[in-house]
Amino acid sequence: MIEKNNNRLGWLFASPYLIFSTVFFLGPLIWSLYLSFTNWDLISPTYDFVGFKNFTKALGTPGVRSAFWVTYKFMIVFVPIVTAMSLFVAVIVKGLPKLKTVFLIGFFLPYLSSGVVASLIVKGFLSHTSPVQTFLRDRLGLDIDWLGGSFSALFVVAMIMAWKFTGYYALILTSGLESIDQEVYEAAAIDGVKDSQRFWKITLPLLYPAIYTTLILSFGATFGIFTEVYQLTGGGPNYATNTWQMEIYSQAFKNLQAGYASAIAIMAAVATFISIFVIRKILEMWGKRNGWV
Amino acid sequence: MKKKLSVMLALTLVFTILAGCGSKSSNSGTSADGVTTIEFWAAPNPTQQAYWQKIAKEYETVNPKVKINVSAIKESPTSEASIQAAIAGGSAPTMTENISRGFAAQLANSKALVPLDTIAGFNDIVTKRNMTKTIEPWEFADGHQYVLPIYSNAMLFGWRTDILKEAGVNEVPRTYSEVIEATKKLKAKYPDKYLWAKPDLADPTSWKRWFDFFMLYNAASDGNKFIEGSQFVGDEKAGVDVLTFVDNLRKEKGLLSQNVTEPFENGVGVFTDVGPWTFSTWAEKYPELQYKENFEVTLPPVPDGMDPANAKTFADAKGIVIYASASPEQQAAAIEFIKWVYSDDKNDVAFFQETNLPPARDDVGTNEVFKPVFEKTPVLQEYAKAIPNAVPSMDNPKFNELQTFIGQEAFNKIVRGEIDPKTGWDNMKKAIEGELQ
Amino acid sequence: MVGSNSNIKLRLSIRYLIAIVLLVIMVFPYLYMVLNSLADWSQVDRKLIPTKFTLRSYQWLFTGGETGITRPWIHAFFNSVFVSLVSTALMMMFAIMVAYALAKLKFRGRDSINNFVLFHMFFPAIILIIPNFLIIQKVGLFDTYWALIIPKAMSLWGIFMYTNFFKAVPDAFIEAAKLDGASDFKILYKIMMPMSKSITTVVFLFLLMERWTELLWDMIVVRSDGMLTLNVLLSQMFGPYQSYPGPMYAGAVMLTLPIIILFIIFGKKFQEGMQFNLK
Repeated sequence: MIEKNNNRLGWLFASPYLIFSTVFFLGPLIWSLYLSFTNWDLISPTYDFVGFKNFTKALGTPGVRSAFWVTYKFMIVFVPIVTAMSLFVAVIVKGLPKLKTVFLIGFFLPYLSSGVVASLIVKGFLSHTSPVQTFLRDRLGLDIDWLGGSFSALFVVAMIMAWKFTGYYALILTSGLESIDQEVYEAAAIDGVKDSQRFWKITLPLLYPAIYTTLILSFGATFGIFTEVYQLTGGGPNYATNTWQMEIYSQAFKNLQAGYASAIAIMAAVATFISIFVIRKILEMWGKRNGWV
Repeated sequence: MKKKLSVMLALTLVFTILAGCGSKSSNSGTSADGVTTIEFWAAPNPTQQAYWQKIAKEYETVNPKVKINVSAIKESPTSEASIQAAIAGGSAPTMTENISRGFAAQLANSKALVPLDTIAGFNDIVTKRNMTKTIEPWEFADGHQYVLPIYSNAMLFGWRTDILKEAGVNEVPRTYSEVIEATKKLKAKYPDKYLWAKPDLADPTSWKRWFDFFMLYNAASDGNKFIEGSQFVGDEKAGVDVLTFVDNLRKEKGLLSQNVTEPFENGVGVFTDVGPWTFSTWAEKYPELQYKENFEVTLPPVPDGMDPANAKTFADAKGIVIYASASPEQQAAAIEFIKWVYSDDKNDVAFFQETNLPPARDDVGTNEVFKPVFEKTPVLQEYAKAIPNAVPSMDNPKFNELQTFIGQEAFNKIVRGEIDPKTGWDNMKKAIEGELQ
Repeated sequence: MVGSNSNIKLRLSIRYLIAIVLLVIMVFPYLYMVLNSLADWSQVDRKLIPTKFTLRSYQWLFTGGETGITRPWIHAFFNSVFVSLVSTALMMMFAIMVAYALAKLKFRGRDSINNFVLFHMFFPAIILIIPNFLIIQKVGLFDTYWALIIPKAMSLWGIFMYTNFFKAVPDAFIEAAKLDGASDFKILYKIMMPMSKSITTVVFLFLLMERWTELLWDMIVVRSDGMLTLNVLLSQMFGPYQSYPGPMYAGAVMLTLPIIILFIIFGKKFQEGMQFNLK
């Protein structure tokens, strides 16, 4: 009796999610698969089946190729920077006896900004006649076209992301730091571990679970980059910052190629899935090998 | 099994509720008391929007059986995409302005437009407004007219003559060599200034080529078409001349494609395309810019050996279309509205005065009624004079992709110094011909 | 490990100094934004710290300058508030309900659903955008509040957080309540929710912030001016015909300030919640 009640109740409570995921997840998933084999353009009343043509065409375009590689380029730039920054912030803040919360909240504030706002500020800040650019030109003789160069544009977007996420990851790392027992340090000191070695030999290994979390989060973040690229570079210059999301948006909502864009979305999903899986395995293995996990 | 059934049931319930509540107020039509509501999307230009709002209100007092809602087209990412998205979302308006010939071709191809000549009253508009000649080149291959051109901007280039004079350039340069010379002198006096400072130069967005590449190309090729039907007919010599010219400007450090706010107005650049719509904005933000004192406008520069006085340029001409999704009552009401607007010349004069955009009429330069406009803003005379020299955009439905190739393969790369003119032209030609198949 | 008192004090001061410098650098973009929104138009983006100030940028936002065309800033603000609050409330409500089922109720299929939630959470949402857009269009909800709210009324992360949290609540509480004859609804309401105050603050603030700063979805499902959210309006506002940097910064301030104020008010609770949660 109770069993049956529980069953019904369980499904009842879970029903909002079940309905939602059917309508907005499973359904769309299948529909997306279906669309990817057509050439529908959102406004025509008719369309045809084109088999795998969308996929083969996509593989040949610079848009899709760049989307694939740009994600990894972002990873290479963004992840180390944001990890180092957030680690630094966490270490500094942890040792503050007073006002720690104030600082943590303060560092967290960038996370609250909409990507639109951050991009507009950066655009204005780096415009040709801005104090920064003028200073660089007049005093250092550097005329940098930040958004016009392939690497610099990527770098700018990566830095905006780093700015946004540092405080958030620092929160996680601070928590991790605080969960390390003081006694461990004391024991280490007795064992003769010098202060300078303390960080690398004791703190980091013990912090690994927290770092693992921030690493996964930061790698994951690179797959979702859209707003900043949309607002600042439009994917350029010459596809240098063209991410999966940007490419799909361009194809689906600028060129109105619903079928083609769905094919790209599927390719993006596959690439993301595999990449995250591989990254997780590597991080776990690395942790295990070093005895950190 | 039972659980799955109840889930399905709940699902259907949800969908029904959703569908039931799905009433959009923006979808207008004819209400019970015989009032037809039409949606009019004006161009994303404040002066045009203000004009249409005013005149729509006026019309409503004259004809209370029609209600006109005027709003602006969104520009994200482009006004064209905005309209397409609305059509896709089933919420297209009755009519919009700001439609170019190329975009109309794209829409007509997807059966989204009404052939205007099939609606009663259209031909009267054309005759009354004196635009028989002007509307001729707008005809489509199927013999129909899909667009009623509202304005025709013969695009001109503006020069900061005040800054040029300071640099020792006393005459506005008209040929490529003269422009290069002027650039050298400019850089000698002001190393921090540029000849042509415009972020769009490095932007591949298709319509931006109208205001750099096509202006120069039309002049260099003397109005040679670029794409005819589905054939690429670009004049290679003229095209490579244009690209070489731009490349040379880059070599002299005369180009700036970084993000700058209003470089021409702020004197960072001394040469840029200037459309007649700019002058009202300048009145608000840069009142110190005065025609003939600080700046002048000319037709595009030409390769050496050509006559600059007769250079061709680009016609930024846009017009009104009516959408097939509108009801017959709405379509008729739309035409009636336009007929009323253009039944009186004073409305065109007001349009010209408030937006500074020359109406698409055969008699802009000659008709007396427009005199006051020229008296108030003398620079507009140059635009009226240039109308016969202006070549409109291509009418290929794929114009977006094709024009994007111009920037991507050639123009943007030249501006950034990444390719040589001949290779750029060849790559662009290949990409365009590939797409045209 | 000997350090005289003054040595320790010195190192501490240096620590604070570094922290303050870092903090200033971090919030500098916000300061830049605020200063430019109040700066005289000739100095916007020209001077690092403006010397001449004006309210013209804010005035422009609400009156539209010389052409008199007003853009719906206030209305967009209201839209953002309404949509964000309703979406977040729904997300929380559903998350708590579903999490309770997954954590505390024993029923057939529970484990599969648990796994499914994880699958859904990590699935690249990119694929779903176009079909979701089409669904909205097909049921005629394009350009309505429903389009903004319903597809975003569920948060996988929220479910995940609450599930983990509820799992950690000792069953003993629930069993005791059941013996007293309480229904599961009552248990949820009177026991689980009060116990989860700390995590609720965190989840609420996070979800609210995410919804408030959403761009892509809000951009593609609306068309009319009346449906724009503030974030989208800011993104689209300044096109080629209108480049007004001062008002742009003013708009950015309007978008950013409410969330920042919210976080500062609930700062301590939020931080505590994060600490608790991360442990």
